[in-house]
Amino acid sequence: MVTIDDKKLIADEKVNNPSFAKTIWREIKHDKMALISLVLLLALLITAYSSPLFIDQEQLQRVNFLETWEAPSSEHLLGTDDGGRDVFGQLLIGTRNSFTIGLSVTLIAGLFGLTVGLISGFFGGWVDNVIMRIIDFLMVLPNLMFIIVFVVIVPNYSIFSFVLIMSAFAWFGKARLIRSKGLAERELDYINASKTLGTPNWKIMFFEMFPNLSSLVIVNMTLSLAGNIGLETGLTFLGFGLPASTPSLGTLIAFATNPDIVQNKSWVWLPAALLILVMMLCINYIGQAVKRASDARQRLA
Amino acid sequence: MSLLNVKDLKVHFPIRGGFFRSVVDQVRAVDGVSFELEPGETYGLVGESGCGKTTTGRAIIGLNKVTGGEVLFNGENLATMNAHERKKHMRDIQMIFQDPYSSLNGRKNVLNIIAEPLRNFERLSPKEELSRVQNMIERVGLNPESIYKYPHQFSGGQRQRIGIARALMLNPKLIIADEPVSALDVSVQAQVLNFMQEIQKDFGLTYLFISHDLGVIKHICDRIGIMYKGRFVEEGTAEDVYMDPQHLYTKRLISAIPEMDPAKKFEKMEMRKEINAAYRTEYDSYFDKDGRMFDLKPISPTHSVAIQQGGM
Repeated sequence: MVTIDDKKLIADEKVNNPSFAKTIWREIKHDKMALISLVLLLALLITAYSSPLFIDQEQLQRVNFLETWEAPSSEHLLGTDDGGRDVFGQLLIGTRNSFTIGLSVTLIAGLFGLTVGLISGFFGGWVDNVIMRIIDFLMVLPNLMFIIVFVVIVPNYSIFSFVLIMSAFAWFGKARLIRSKGLAERELDYINASKTLGTPNWKIMFFEMFPNLSSLVIVNMTLSLAGNIGLETGLTFLGFGLPASTPSLGTLIAFATNPDIVQNKSWVWLPAALLILVMMLCINYIGQAVKRASDARQRLA
Repeated sequence: MSLLNVKDLKVHFPIRGGFFRSVVDQVRAVDGVSFELEPGETYGLVGESGCGKTTTGRAIIGLNKVTGGEVLFNGENLATMNAHERKKHMRDIQMIFQDPYSSLNGRKNVLNIIAEPLRNFERLSPKEELSRVQNMIERVGLNPESIYKYPHQFSGGQRQRIGIARALMLNPKLIIADEPVSALDVSVQAQVLNFMQEIQKDFGLTYLFISHDLGVIKHICDRIGIMYKGRFVEEGTAEDVYMDPQHLYTKRLISAIPEMDPAKKFEKMEMRKEINAAYRTEYDSYFDKDGRMFDLKPISPTHSVAIQQGGM
């Protein structure tokens, strides 16, 4: 038998077959907007997530009535709010909380939607029929109202339960998307081949079918990440999101319900609003680049 | 004892319609097909597209549900087995698929594709697995260095060899080849066919060879069954069918093979005209009043034809 240098072969093939991650990176490099967005987003996130290193959270939340509504100064970079708390510190902690929530909702909903969609698409027939009718029913429910009702009736809810409640209403679309692609995929012969080779169904679903749908999932998740951050902020703004003691971008923007604050104390809510805008735009540009990377015809690189 | 014995196999697909999606009618894709495969032979299923030959193959291996009849493999009925019992026999029956482009998962490299059956049925260390895959890859005539490549880096003929290697990995007894060469161009077809005959001797394989190409079937098959509208028209050794076709449909089919010799071209044309005329006048005597084929009647020990009882 011929002896072969396995490592060299594997390395060679890696060059010839760039992974999806590599393709995405190449695509982003060739799209200035996406590259800038990525750098900006990473800078924002690194700052936000490392903020506990230089911000004392307990001190941040301590109410100090001597310093309420102070305008930006060297001591308080972005001024203070109604409790004399530093807005800049809240902004950082808030970004961290909001992003964590958005990301976990996307991941949990994505995972659940993916599983349901794969099962529905792989088996087809009556399994698909039953699952789709259930999803049809769930989709006509007014999501926002249900989340609000849940938030109201669940006693002492935390970030964790809030994430679960939001995820419970975010997976329908994903399940549908995966299912429709899965239905087309299951007719292909490589699925039949795996069946005749004795591979169990769950293995075919997750190790044969899923890799062929993964680019779709990644694109969809990236794009819905921005939406989920927005949803969290929106709910908090309405007063049904995180409790006021937990800073998030939404709690800061919620100050803008008072006309006086909107007009005269813009340092409280404007930075948070801009930050959301910038973050959503960044994620969106990156998402567009990822989307192009998943389709060879649309690539710029 | 025969290796595979298909008795009165039926595969029907329901047509649903109306308000409650009730079953209105059945598509009789395969409607009472019987044949036997002896170990080591190549049996050809021929017919036009939509005649049920592929469905027959898929029903035997379990990709389509059997509506009625028996599929006896080594004397055990596969048609009534549940999935768990079936799995024991899975490794003895393998399939080669028609389209070498869609039958290999583009996201997996050759090693993972070919090792898939091994991982399902045998517990091997990665080293043993690698050496078995490399041996098989060499056996099917590909470069053993190509195991880390992906399917899109191969040509159609090479991909089909990968598909064959995957089917051979478990040393099966029966291989169902569903038009294995019809997606390849003609020069590669011959290569793959000769290679299939070679490995048949080496591995002691039995082929159920499904094709619409009469030339290919003649080249490779010992016995042939001609199908039309889900039923057998004629069955016999290759010689019986090609030299002495009895059924009107078989005659038409055989006469449609292009003639290579220009001198015989006109002769062939005349023959086609004759058969065509016969088709118009005698059609009714070959099909019953529902347009269905009759059951097969033996006319010699090896040759049977679907004709009416008591001659024509």
